Amino acid sequence: MTARTDAGAAAQRPMPAAPRRSWSATVLVLALIALVTASFASLPLKWAEFFSAAALRSSGEFLAGFAPPELATPFLAKTAWATAETLAMSALGTLLAVAGGMLLALPGAGRFGRTARAAVRIVMNVLRSVPELVWASVLLIAAGLGPFAGTLALAVHTAGVLGRLFADALENTAPLPEQSLRANGAAALPAFLYATLPQALPQMLSYTLYRWENNIRAAAVLGVVGAGGLGQMLKYHLSLFQMPAAATVIIAMLLLVALVDGVSHALRRALTR
Amino acid sequence: MLELRKLSKSYASGRPVLAGLSYTFRAGEFVAIMGDSGVGKSTLLNLIAGLDQPDATPDGAPPIVLDGVAMSALDDDAATRLRRAKMGFIFQAFHVLPHLTLEQNVALPLLLNGLPDARAALMLAAVGLDGRGADYPHQLSGGEMQRVAIARALVHRPALVLADEPTGNLDPDTAHSVLSLLRDEIAASGACTIMVTHSLAAAQMADRTLILTKAGLQETTVVKPFAQ
Repeated sequence: MTARTDAGAAAQRPMPAAPRRSWSATVLVLALIALVTASFASLPLKWAEFFSAAALRSSGEFLAGFAPPELATPFLAKTAWATAETLAMSALGTLLAVAGGMLLALPGAGRFGRTARAAVRIVMNVLRSVPELVWASVLLIAAGLGPFAGTLALAVHTAGVLGRLFADALENTAPLPEQSLRANGAAALPAFLYATLPQALPQMLSYTLYRWENNIRAAAVLGVVGAGGLGQMLKYHLSLFQMPAAATVIIAMLLLVALVDGVSHALRRALTR
Repeated sequence: MLELRKLSKSYASGRPVLAGLSYTFRAGEFVAIMGDSGVGKSTLLNLIAGLDQPDATPDGAPPIVLDGVAMSALDDDAATRLRRAKMGFIFQAFHVLPHLTLEQNVALPLLLNGLPDARAALMLAAVGLDGRGADYPHQLSGGEMQRVAIARALVHRPALVLADEPTGNLDPDTAHSVLSLLRDEIAASGACTIMVTHSLAAAQMADRTLILTKAGLQETTVVKPFAQ
């Protein structure tokens, strides 16, 4: 009886007022709508011409030129070598980036004070804000044409990315195990190595493998600016309209990316289990 | 063994936490410190361990002296070395490292001190975990994990054991069992033990109980159960 009376009284009471919506969210949504509308209005998007019969016919003729791919043994050997070069660029670039990223991550996680953290985070932002292609163009001047510049470009950009991800992973670890070891007399380095690094390591390995996958694709593209590997071959054959040869290079790129995706997936599962 | 002389500590904001504490802890005794939340009990342990720096005393005398060594005169490295050799720390949340086996966890202080790790297995047996050295912490209950933490804190025979709410995460029966073990082990080793606790039952296991208030440390009498 009492419960029913309480329920009735509660039903009669007005609901509390809804929380006030922030005006900034409304402004943001309106601004986004305006931006999308302005984008459509400002770009000369010629959808009708794009899907016209003439456009479809000429695209079909262009794509038909890729078949059949070039399968002559000397060319396949040359493509295999370029594939190995692309793989090596991505692997070495990622390895250098891990070393650089780790060096940046320690101050970036605030282990040497707030000033060092802020300064290093700015450096990491700059490193990863500049795309690999731009780094490659810059480094070509110093390192010359070829895979060395491409490798350095991948390493510099990825060091910024991994440095930031490693720093966040380290900051997000539970601090108490390390404090516990410090309280029991461990110096700063052993306490970090025993208590904090093992917590972050699976995540760091996962990030590294993921970036390696990305770097395979990037390494294939970097060749376009003269940084060696499959990208350089692709640019060469496309510019001479040797479509069957370009098709072979594109197939090699697809196979390489698929292979590395598979290997990376298997490694991530094994290492982070 | 451990002397506190007009020990004070203020936060960076200037708010005082501890003001003019003086007390002498003797070797081999088990002392419980009780007090309201926020009165500075854990801060006191951190100061004694050299993990935090006390305020300077009015007369410039060292506020914490452990076996004749002025803690405040030590730099970070020297304080770390002193802690490693002379102290063992037990926490409420155990802080056993999850990726190491029980024996590796217990052996850590020995390795840090450059000592052979054979005593780790003996300590595990002493805390009732004989034959479990190859297990990992996730295979243990809370009470067992605190036993490992006790073994780790005592394995290198420290002169001073600091325990911050060591039974705060345990049920009453397990807490009693763990404290009995701690008391027996420190009686065997002769270490001075300072235990911060909110639990009257835990304080009853100690030789002496101090109450920490804004006025300082005051000894109090805790009625012990007849069974003890």
